Amino acid sequence: MDPETRELRALEAEVAALQRECSMLSKPWEKTSGARKSFQKFPQSDSEGWKSWRDLKSQLAHLKSEVSFLSKLTGINIRNYSKTEDITNNEVTEKDTKKILQRHRLSGNCSMVTFQLEFQVLEIETKEKSSSVITDLSIIMEPTEYSELSEFASRAEEKRDLLMFFRSLHFFVEWYEYRKNTFKHFKEKYPDSVHLSEGTCSHCMEIHSARQPGFELVIVWRIQIDEEGKVFPKLDLLTKVPERALELDKNRVIETAPLSFRRLLGVLGIEAALDSLIKLLCVEND
Amino acid sequence: MESANTLRQGGECKGGVLAYLERLEAQMNRSSRKSEELTVHTKESSQRTKIHELRRQRDKLRAEVKRRQARIKASLDNEDPNRTVELSEQEDLARQWGNVKDILQAYRFTGLSGKLTSRGVCVCISTAFEGNLLDSYFVDLVMEKPLRIHHHSIPVFIPLERIATEYLQTDIQRFLFSLCEYLNAYSGRKYQTDQLETDFSAFLTGPLQRNALCNLLSFTYKVDQGHQTFSFSATLLYEDLTAALPTGVTVMCPGAETSSARWEEHRASHEMLFRTKPLHQVFASFSKQVEILDLSLVS
Repeated sequence: MDPETRELRALEAEVAALQRECSMLSKPWEKTSGARKSFQKFPQSDSEGWKSWRDLKSQLAHLKSEVSFLSKLTGINIRNYSKTEDITNNEVTEKDTKKILQRHRLSGNCSMVTFQLEFQVLEIETKEKSSSVITDLSIIMEPTEYSELSEFASRAEEKRDLLMFFRSLHFFVEWYEYRKNTFKHFKEKYPDSVHLSEGTCSHCMEIHSARQPGFELVIVWRIQIDEEGKVFPKLDLLTKVPERALELDKNRVIETAPLSFRRLLGVLGIEAALDSLIKLLCVEND
Repeated sequence: MESANTLRQGGECKGGVLAYLERLEAQMNRSSRKSEELTVHTKESSQRTKIHELRRQRDKLRAEVKRRQARIKASLDNEDPNRTVELSEQEDLARQWGNVKDILQAYRFTGLSGKLTSRGVCVCISTAFEGNLLDSYFVDLVMEKPLRIHHHSIPVFIPLERIATEYLQTDIQRFLFSLCEYLNAYSGRKYQTDQLETDFSAFLTGPLQRNALCNLLSFTYKVDQGHQTFSFSATLLYEDLTAALPTGVTVMCPGAETSSARWEEHRASHEMLFRTKPLHQVFASFSKQVEILDLSLVS
């Protein structure tokens, strides 16, 4: 993240925190008995300041442990959340229909991806039923280099499907970490033959052979998210081969390599397929 | 698939596969560099104005907070000087308490939230379909070895047993997310079916047949196109229980007029629509078509 963006994020967080503080400081302190009033919304409120302070501390510790547990359980770490209710829309319009519009701001991270969301929820209550609809969703995610993620974010915004966003984000990050670990594993196992141009976070793995310079295999591993939010890996094989070799390749092995690779993936799975490919190019005797 | 094809074509091109790839690469690098520069530039200038704005807002808020704190302190000083020290600490804790409580509430928007219980944890799974927040379900887990489900509100036709056997002991996260997928898909299918029954019942010419899992639907409907009324019968099968769109769609023309080309055209397009769009949206598009036609008749 560049310094400007960092400052922007920090300022946004600070402004949100200050707004909350401002509203907290204005609400309970209307009358002189304000001190007692401020604890009205907390459980076990006591007019004895000392007792409720201790309770508050232990309650706070318990709540914090709940948050950290949820964060580990979901893989999603929510750092900030605020909600405002639009009082002007809180009208009882025709035939006992109550409409409440809430504005929410949520930010946090899921492993290496940080997100900032703003959305509106419209709650409609009639005599028969009540419904909640997300009427507006805006998603800011970082890092922005993953085109698949930003495409997915705009699709989620269009569909206003907040839950699908989080679900798919979780699976995307899972696949991302798996790819990173797999590439790292192969780099460590075959340090001379495997080359990762952008480090373990890249989506390409190049396989060179010292004995056969000019021959190169490139594994391109993309993580795709489809229309319904399903996350799946897409691996392709690219070959770089000297022209002479192409001429000699009577059986068109090189041309059909990408297709054969797909079949290999289906049979052996990702790790075994990559392993056998590397062994093929590098460990084989001439 | 694409890379295999391009490589095959490249073999026939001048210069061979390698040259073709190199040309593609160079093209890609040039265009990505250009767009990178452009986005960086526009991002920077809009960021700078935003930063200025936020700085202004922040300073204003800081001043306001100080003012309010001073006012409170002044009013309390008049009451009891000893209490003010304690109260500012309490205020800080109260603020933190409110913040953490809010965050706990916010987790329901991720789909998974919960509370710690004396036995373990009670996880609440929320479901939604395209912005419509739907039912929630809970699973009460007991943290023992082996992990077990104390009780739950998952409907019987969701394969909870199977998912639990596969993942519960080894990977709770995977267990919960998998359950999340099934429940959200079920909620989505149910929502689409309910919408069809309530909002678009005018199109149905018979009862809508559905099963509890909402993954097998059968109905007959009619669509008016100008002077003609086309009637069809449709069967939708959702074999993938983690999807809210059908895997198999059959639309048929009941009756004798099956040979007409127009019928076939409509039938095929409807089949395509049911396969790619949510059920109630397909019918919404039918009503829009009818509206358009009505307007054209009037004008």
